[in-house]
Amino acid sequence: MTDAPILEAKALCKSYGLVQVLHDVELSIAPGESRVVIGPNGAGKTTLFKCLSGEVPSDKGVISLEGREITGLRGWRRVQMGIGRTFQVARIFPEMTARENMTVAVEMRDRLARGTARRLFSLAPAAELRAEVDELMSELDLAAAADRPARILAHGDKKRLELAMSLALRPTLVMLDEPTAGMSPADRADAVAMIARLRDTHGLTLLLTEHDMEVVFGLATRLTVLHQGRIIADGAPADVRADPNVREVYLGHD
Amino acid sequence: MNRDLAKTMALAGLGGAAFLCVPLVANSGVVFLAGLVAINIVFALSWNLLFAGAGLLSFGHSMFLAAGAYTMAKFSLSAPEVPFLLTLVLAALSGGVLAWVFGFVALRRASGTYFAILTLAFSALVHIVITKTDALGRADGLVGIRRPEIGVGSLRLSLDGDMYYVFIVLSMTLAALALWCFTHSPTGRLLQAIKQDRLRTSFLGANVRRWQLLAFCVSGVFAALAGAVMAPWSQIVSPEIAHWSMSTMPILYALLGGTSRFWGPALGAILFGMLDYGTRNMLGLADMTSGILLLVVVLAVPGGILGLLLRVGRTREEAKG
Repeated sequence: MTDAPILEAKALCKSYGLVQVLHDVELSIAPGESRVVIGPNGAGKTTLFKCLSGEVPSDKGVISLEGREITGLRGWRRVQMGIGRTFQVARIFPEMTARENMTVAVEMRDRLARGTARRLFSLAPAAELRAEVDELMSELDLAAAADRPARILAHGDKKRLELAMSLALRPTLVMLDEPTAGMSPADRADAVAMIARLRDTHGLTLLLTEHDMEVVFGLATRLTVLHQGRIIADGAPADVRADPNVREVYLGHD
Repeated sequence: MNRDLAKTMALAGLGGAAFLCVPLVANSGVVFLAGLVAINIVFALSWNLLFAGAGLLSFGHSMFLAAGAYTMAKFSLSAPEVPFLLTLVLAALSGGVLAWVFGFVALRRASGTYFAILTLAFSALVHIVITKTDALGRADGLVGIRRPEIGVGSLRLSLDGDMYYVFIVLSMTLAALALWCFTHSPTGRLLQAIKQDRLRTSFLGANVRRWQLLAFCVSGVFAALAGAVMAPWSQIVSPEIAHWSMSTMPILYALLGGTSRFWGPALGAILFGMLDYGTRNMLGLADMTSGILLLVVVLAVPGGILGLLLRVGRTREEAKG
């Protein structure tokens, strides 16, 4: 008997105008899994992410989180229920320092835990929140960048800052859209190591999209291959790698 | 206590003290203008709370000023037995209620420029309703608003003449400080986050529209408070106060002084008051000079006067060091 899935999508469809981007996508992610969704450009990975996180509504199908249906809920509600998410191009608050970025996230978690009214007018962040900010920043190697404006941070720092902000909400499922996009091979290896470490220490379930095969096979406990909006393979990394269909459309030429 | 807060209180205290000195050195005409400037400061700060603080552009802020002024005037004329400070609270809340009703509809449907146009349309509607309502004096407005009394039991203080001026300066100083505290609170930080990246903020679990609605209501409360304090000062409230041209005033002050600094709009309001006074005898020229000045500032010094001063200060310090 396996655990109930953390995230489940059934017969998920999404069209933009006349173009159908997702065709009856079925996805089931078990607790503790690190699922990587791969597929060529235009396969629908980002659209799948947007539908699952609630950034855009899906047209058909059912999405549930830990057994509760979330299909019609907006993104912020899904975040409150335990989904964290980062974007392909890191979204941070550019005019704030890295520490202020983190403070916004930690205060948001605190607000959700306590209810809004108590914290409407308090001034400096409470000492415990400051400690929480510092802890997360050192855990994600951001301490050196703390007091610099986020817009001038190095690419990798921006990515880690965004991940740290998502983790501040204490999610059960973290969705990472191309976490190593634009990184050098050395930085990639570091990023993979860090994500794996965070997954283990925070007990996270991960859902990622990724292009780089070393990252994919470095992190995935299970792979899903998306091609032209349909799932063509789903299973253990070694099995998927051996799947002739997958080799043809994606891994292709080796 | 927080160091920034202490500095701000010192600054606001100095500013308030400077205003309090005006009756000692100037005639009653100047004192009257200074009272209006103090009120305009809070009006402009309340507008900038939305613009710089939450990324919401309001072209209709006169409706809140009018809500506060008419509520105060109506109570003062029809129910003078209600204590002044209670009336003040009710008048300020009237702005909050108006902001909630409007914001509830508009924030659901629109953002950016569309939102701004909706504020303009809604405030035009408020203006028309006022000019058609008998109880609000239609186009003539409400006249003969008395300067109030405050106190408890037999201990009464009549806020007449310069005493009301003192009350204006004290209440507006406190209101400005309250706005500063709001801007620098966790809520203010979250609104700033929404302004900088709305999608990111919603993916931190924030219901963006609800927070923006809160900002809109807080801004409405403070603009209405400014209007409420203004009514007994000018002793007349006319529909002009709800006119769209009144909505341009806080925008002019804020752009002149600089929107990116909290006190920018306050400086803009003071400079505008001085300019107004300096050109009071040149009919027609006054509008032109303020228009030209604003054009020069916006084109040549996008950060506003305060932004310019701070930049000059920094450059000097660097040159010294």
